[in-house]
Amino acid sequence: MLQNSWLIPLFPLLSFVLLLIFRKSKSEGTAWIGVLLTGLSLILSIGVWIAVWQGDGIKVEGTWFEIGERAITMGYEINPLNALMLVIVSLVSFLVHLYSKGYMHGDERFPVFFAYLGLFSFAMLGLVLSPNLLQLYMFWELVGLGSFLLIGFYYFKPEAKAAAKKAFVMTRIGDVGLFIGMVLLFWQVGSFEYDEIFASVRNGDISSGMLTLTALCIFVGAIGKSGQLPLHTWLPDAMEGPTPVSALIHAATMVAAGVYLVAAMYPLFQASETALTVVAIVGGVTAIFAASIGLMQKDIKRVLAYSTVSQLGYMMLALGASGYVAGIFHLTTHAFFKALLFLAAGSVIHAVHTQNIEEMGGLWKKLRLTGPLFLIGALAISGVPLLSGFFSKDEILASTYADGRYGLFWLAVVAAFMTAFYMFRLFFLVFTGKPRGDQSGVHESPSVMTLPMLVLGVLAIVAGYLNTAWFGTFLTDYLAGGPVELAHGDHHGPSWIPIVATAASLLGIGLAYLIYQKGTLSRNWITRSLPGLSNVIYNKWYVDEGYDATFVKGTKGLSKLGVLFDKYIVDGLVAAVVSGVQGLSKVGSSLQNGQVQTYGTFAIFGIVILLLIVALTGGYFT
Amino acid sequence: MDLDTLLSFRWSVMLPEFIILGVATLLSVIDLFMKKESSRKPLAWLAGAGILAALIAVFMQLDIEVTSILYDTYRLDSFSKAFKILLLLGTLLVIVLSSNYKKEDLEENRGEFYYLLLAALLGAMMMASSADLITLFVGLELLSLSSYVMAGLERRNKRSNESAFKYIVSGGIATAITLFGMSYIFGLTGETNLFKIAENMGNLELLKHSFLIVFAFIITFAGLTFKIAAAPLHMWAPDVYEGAPVPVTAFLSVVSKTAGFVILLRVIIICFIAAPGIDKEPILLQVQPYVMVLAAATMIIGNVTALRQRNIKRMFAYSSIAQAGYILVPFVSNSSLLFELIWFYLLAYLFMNIGAFTVIQLLSSQEGSADVGIFRGLFRRSPWLAVPMTFFILSLAGIPITAGFIGKFGIFMGALGLDPAHYWLAAVMMATTLVSYVYYFNIIAIMFFRDSDGTKVSIPGGMAAVLAFCTASVIILGIMPDLALDFFYGNFDVNEFFMQIETEVHTHDH
Repeated sequence: MLQNSWLIPLFPLLSFVLLLIFRKSKSEGTAWIGVLLTGLSLILSIGVWIAVWQGDGIKVEGTWFEIGERAITMGYEINPLNALMLVIVSLVSFLVHLYSKGYMHGDERFPVFFAYLGLFSFAMLGLVLSPNLLQLYMFWELVGLGSFLLIGFYYFKPEAKAAAKKAFVMTRIGDVGLFIGMVLLFWQVGSFEYDEIFASVRNGDISSGMLTLTALCIFVGAIGKSGQLPLHTWLPDAMEGPTPVSALIHAATMVAAGVYLVAAMYPLFQASETALTVVAIVGGVTAIFAASIGLMQKDIKRVLAYSTVSQLGYMMLALGASGYVAGIFHLTTHAFFKALLFLAAGSVIHAVHTQNIEEMGGLWKKLRLTGPLFLIGALAISGVPLLSGFFSKDEILASTYADGRYGLFWLAVVAAFMTAFYMFRLFFLVFTGKPRGDQSGVHESPSVMTLPMLVLGVLAIVAGYLNTAWFGTFLTDYLAGGPVELAHGDHHGPSWIPIVATAASLLGIGLAYLIYQKGTLSRNWITRSLPGLSNVIYNKWYVDEGYDATFVKGTKGLSKLGVLFDKYIVDGLVAAVVSGVQGLSKVGSSLQNGQVQTYGTFAIFGIVILLLIVALTGGYFT
Repeated sequence: MDLDTLLSFRWSVMLPEFIILGVATLLSVIDLFMKKESSRKPLAWLAGAGILAALIAVFMQLDIEVTSILYDTYRLDSFSKAFKILLLLGTLLVIVLSSNYKKEDLEENRGEFYYLLLAALLGAMMMASSADLITLFVGLELLSLSSYVMAGLERRNKRSNESAFKYIVSGGIATAITLFGMSYIFGLTGETNLFKIAENMGNLELLKHSFLIVFAFIITFAGLTFKIAAAPLHMWAPDVYEGAPVPVTAFLSVVSKTAGFVILLRVIIICFIAAPGIDKEPILLQVQPYVMVLAAATMIIGNVTALRQRNIKRMFAYSSIAQAGYILVPFVSNSSLLFELIWFYLLAYLFMNIGAFTVIQLLSSQEGSADVGIFRGLFRRSPWLAVPMTFFILSLAGIPITAGFIGKFGIFMGALGLDPAHYWLAAVMMATTLVSYVYYFNIIAIMFFRDSDGTKVSIPGGMAAVLAFCTASVIILGIMPDLALDFFYGNFDVNEFFMQIETEVHTHDH
């Protein structure tokens, strides 16, 4: 089984190629190509996972190319962490393929959509299988490319186009960090291989300053992909893509890649206390920051998007607080319940054709399946006991506490409260009360859409039992087979932590109930009492505006400056020279418009200035 | 030099040049005797066949050891062979482009174009194969003069005329600067042979004049930046690229640039490698900061200004300035992998840039415009153009699974692998690469996310072949870079570059 694991990403690639060939086809049966092939990936992934569970592992690689004396390798690897990721990615990808068959019904470019899904799944699975950083980086970029195409799928919407470009460029900023970190590591270790990097870290071959620097560079890559502060702004905008895409990319796979990267490079992070602290702080602050924005959004998908940013922050917090297992545990459970929530939201949008929650309401009776499934997802993410989110969140809180990061611990508890509040604000506004919009044609989605939701619903409940204090710490034991030494063992902190977490969650739900269901509290009592703050939150803390005012305007200004420099400044500087030359030459010829003189003058000036600088700083005349 | 000496040289090593020279002469004669009305199109076949033959000749020379004739004014070493392959391959593709370039204006000059192109190529090849300032300069001028005429071949097109005019004036200035710098080199050493210059540069007497050496270095270097379109002599590129016929633009941005790097490497590295600066520190190390500033300025100017361009040819001109900046990075950081990094990058650049210009030529001649808008909805109109173009752009932007990524990756690795590592140069390269994503991906977004008017673009067979070849090369070199790197390591020995051959021939002694 393990020997064939390299086939896993190839099935979706095949699907991409086949569907591109059939892209003109009007038949929606083409979707089955994608469903079937990702299904094969899923089966193979599960087989691999079972084999790893029994203690197997594999690493195959060969020389890819040589530069000078350095050999760059390529291959594939199966270890506990990436086997788990394989299952998550291929499962969600398979379910999203199935769901999209219903959701994208009637779309003109139906096969193209599935082709893009295939490309994306291929890149994501390839990323997970990579045994070294360079290969990971290559798939990392391909994932970005796939998401660029998927987010911009509704190309006729200007917002979608803009969002696609924004997502691509924003995540690329993070990639620069990853790239630099990776190359620096290479020159320290002499290899891109995880194993060899970890070995060097263990042997203390890398100075502690360099360890911190490379870990932070790599973390910058994770920040970009996982939408952490301050590179999070692309993720909510990316909601312009079709909803199944949001479920695939923005819940379970691409955004989780950042968390996966930190987890895969964990021994490096463990070696630098500073790096861990930075990861924890960025994660913790992102968790509460994004949750606060989620409180006031009106678009159902944007609430979920900010919630994703916030939950990814939780995972980072866990990893930063030495809660390796907790982070991966939450990654797993979150993949299921957030994909469920997105698909359910898609089902709602499919039914009412709007994303504005102000125009929904009372859908519980109309959507007999979507409603309860959404409720399961909401309960799970809010951390209500016995559902998956409760266990993983509890573990994160316990690790944070055990690591002595009390400030971040309380931050996370408040974020948990906010999460519960905005999720149930969403739930009550969408499913209960009176319909606030036209709901004449509303009906439940077809079974091809509800079936994937059912599967995810079940998983959102049971996935938590992978790792509990009550039934057994299966996940911990499983991950112990990997390269990461689980220093703290399992974090079962003080027994009051689950109680506090539950209280925070129930408090959030209760508050949402009082405001949005019972109406006991006025909806805008917070807005009224704290108008300034709520305004800032409503405007997403003005991060986008801040970027626009600084970087975007700055670069534009710079490029304007370049053109102006070309045209006017040099012109102005040399006007005297030019006018002299122009006086001699025939004036008025359209060819001799003075520009060439400008170029020449620029060149000469450039050289003269350079020579002057050399003369002044080179130390030749001392 | 008597006849015996002349005959004693191994003229066979010049076979590729002789082929090109012969074909160029043949073409000019045929063109002269052909009826005025008859089409010159078939001449492209002859020109192409000539280049192919020269290419084969170079491949046959691969196992010849370093040879030098005519007192080192012509030498055949790994360096010249490696780069001649690039020059020939690039020109061959340009020939295909030009044979499909339809502009009435060009028809009357078509015959002229082919032998000018071969003459330019001959100049470039001489630049790759010479170790003497005089022949190097003659080669450079042969390339330049032919290029000036080619840029203005559309005689009735004002832009083409303007382009040629600007090119010739800027070129003249650059030549003057280069010669001025070379005169310093000659003045300091009293030699024109590069290896003898290197010997004399090491002379301790010269230590007193280390400022003059730096002077000579900076001026020569600056003069040579003209051909590669790097700062400070880059400003001609956008105007010339915009006005020149597309195949000529492709030639200038690929073949001429490659030749520029060839002469830059030859002259600068050999002449100055042993030259001392103050405190006997090698001068190449001392000038590093200044040359790095130029490389950084080139990357910044190219990428930042490209953002504002609406004309696709101007955008590619700035992009090509930026690419020159990237290629300067291994050069200015004195990487030990200098030759293979530059060679590989130029190879990748050849495929991605000529490929992109193929698409540009097809679109701009169909739409009669060179605005970026001609790409709108291309994926839906002509996916067979849009998909290759996407790969070329991904490669230019340095995204994985393309040759451009490997090239950029190598350069980046080289810059950080030195001791001390050139962090800030690498940082400038990454930051400007990031900026370049914006305009490169703008083209992709226009191709994929814009509505089209549905007009298909017809692709003639020759162009399709170039597209297929370039796309395949960009992808294959991206996935299996070893194909090219193994070829390089297997056939070329960079040490030959520094190997001086005693060419004293004593034939009349006996």
